[in-house]
Amino acid sequence: MTTLEPLGTVLAFSTLAALAAAFGALPQAFHVPPPRRAIGWANALAGGLMLGVAYALLTQGLTQGLLAGGAGALLGLAFVRGTHALAGTGELDLDSSESPSASVGYKSVLVDALHAADEGVAIGAAMAVALPLGTAMAVTLAIHNIPEALVLTSALTRVGVRPYQSAVIAVAVNVNQVLLAVFAFSLVALWPSLLPWLAGFAVGALIYRTLVELLPESYAQAGRTSIAMITLLALGVVVLLVGVTS
Amino acid sequence: MSEWLVVFLYALLTAVATGLGALPFVFMRTISERFVSYAGAVASGLMLGASFGLVAEGTGYGRGETLLGGLLGVAFILLTQRFLGEQDGHDIVFEAARGEGARRMLLMVIVMTVHSFAEGVAVGVSFGGGVTLGAVITIAIAIHNVPEGVAISAVLRPQGVSVGRCAAWSVFSSLPQPLMAVPAFLFVEAFRPALPYGLGFAAGAMVFMVLGDLLPEAYGHGKRAQVATLAAASAVAMVLFQQWL
Repeated sequence: MTTLEPLGTVLAFSTLAALAAAFGALPQAFHVPPPRRAIGWANALAGGLMLGVAYALLTQGLTQGLLAGGAGALLGLAFVRGTHALAGTGELDLDSSESPSASVGYKSVLVDALHAADEGVAIGAAMAVALPLGTAMAVTLAIHNIPEALVLTSALTRVGVRPYQSAVIAVAVNVNQVLLAVFAFSLVALWPSLLPWLAGFAVGALIYRTLVELLPESYAQAGRTSIAMITLLALGVVVLLVGVTS
Repeated sequence: MSEWLVVFLYALLTAVATGLGALPFVFMRTISERFVSYAGAVASGLMLGASFGLVAEGTGYGRGETLLGGLLGVAFILLTQRFLGEQDGHDIVFEAARGEGARRMLLMVIVMTVHSFAEGVAVGVSFGGGVTLGAVITIAIAIHNVPEGVAISAVLRPQGVSVGRCAAWSVFSSLPQPLMAVPAFLFVEAFRPALPYGLGFAAGAMVFMVLGDLLPEAYGHGKRAQVATLAAASAVAMVLFQQWL
């Protein structure tokens, strides 16, 4: 695909995915803080969806260049690891309730904003592989953004942010998802040979992020078996619906 | 030599190749808590990547069947865990270990052995097209089995099992491959419909073992960033490796 024509589709779907985050803010907005275990399940759900999306990109986006894809994946992994190290958010637990401070709030927002960046690249790269894969990817990430926002707004309210403000923040952190989706898609439209690099980058970043943030947090919040079950089911459904579209 | 004997010998070769997976552990002498954690992370990544490959193959034969097979795989692990749990911890002895460690090793060997049944059927069915491509496919599968041996050894070695016995258990876990390949080759039409269920079952069991046991254990004993790096890199490497084959 070497035309910029479907750019509108990319824009629309990535915006939709970003807006979906507002749903995750609802429990806080109505002053019904979700129990800790439910937050663990939300994390597991988000993680399973994430791994499924990575699978879809891995099997469909890297076929034209395995080496470039592998190198891209290492870059994606290094990007997330590096930004974590720089921001001092490597071992941040969004549910650490011991010391509610402003810095925990800032860090939570920063983590999710960076999170949205590689999701944006994933949407853009998937759109460039094939529009059906891209739209399926955007829908999956939209669903994924809901539990993610649930976790973020819970953390923000704990450090004293007002519910409606936390809802606005939860959506705002996803703005770069739209920007990077459009940017990644345009890059591939202009230079198709970049596709395996970008798809690989997204895959490396998504898998690493799931393993370094979502899963370890969820194990601390709920039992192993329930976490494994939810993650596996989410992963399985995405693989079946998205993994074999093309 | 009759055709089925050729298939059996080829498949046996792939099983023996799994033992090579114990080799990297020859060079690791000390067994620290960190090592247990990071070896578990590598095993998790390899199994996750291998499952992606199984699912990609299974969905080619049927999506719903693969998913159903996956759910059965999860149920199988839950039942096995329950059965092992009822044996009252202390009574389980595997190699030199007892209790928790023995339970994990036993589960690992069971999961990987069961998954080989499905792989054996896949080998037999793909041979069914003719033995001409046989040697090429065999080499591909033999190489593909080596990281699976790494995964098994990565769980067994940290518990103090010797490298030789890690290799032996790795080969053991792959023995169903030649055993299943021959009937699947001889009766392709009868086995083909069962294939997506089997592949899904193997993937479901392996991923559940990773998410429910290996990963949380790895997080508990090592640094998060290291566990995530090792597991993510192993998973991606495994998928790329299989696509390249």
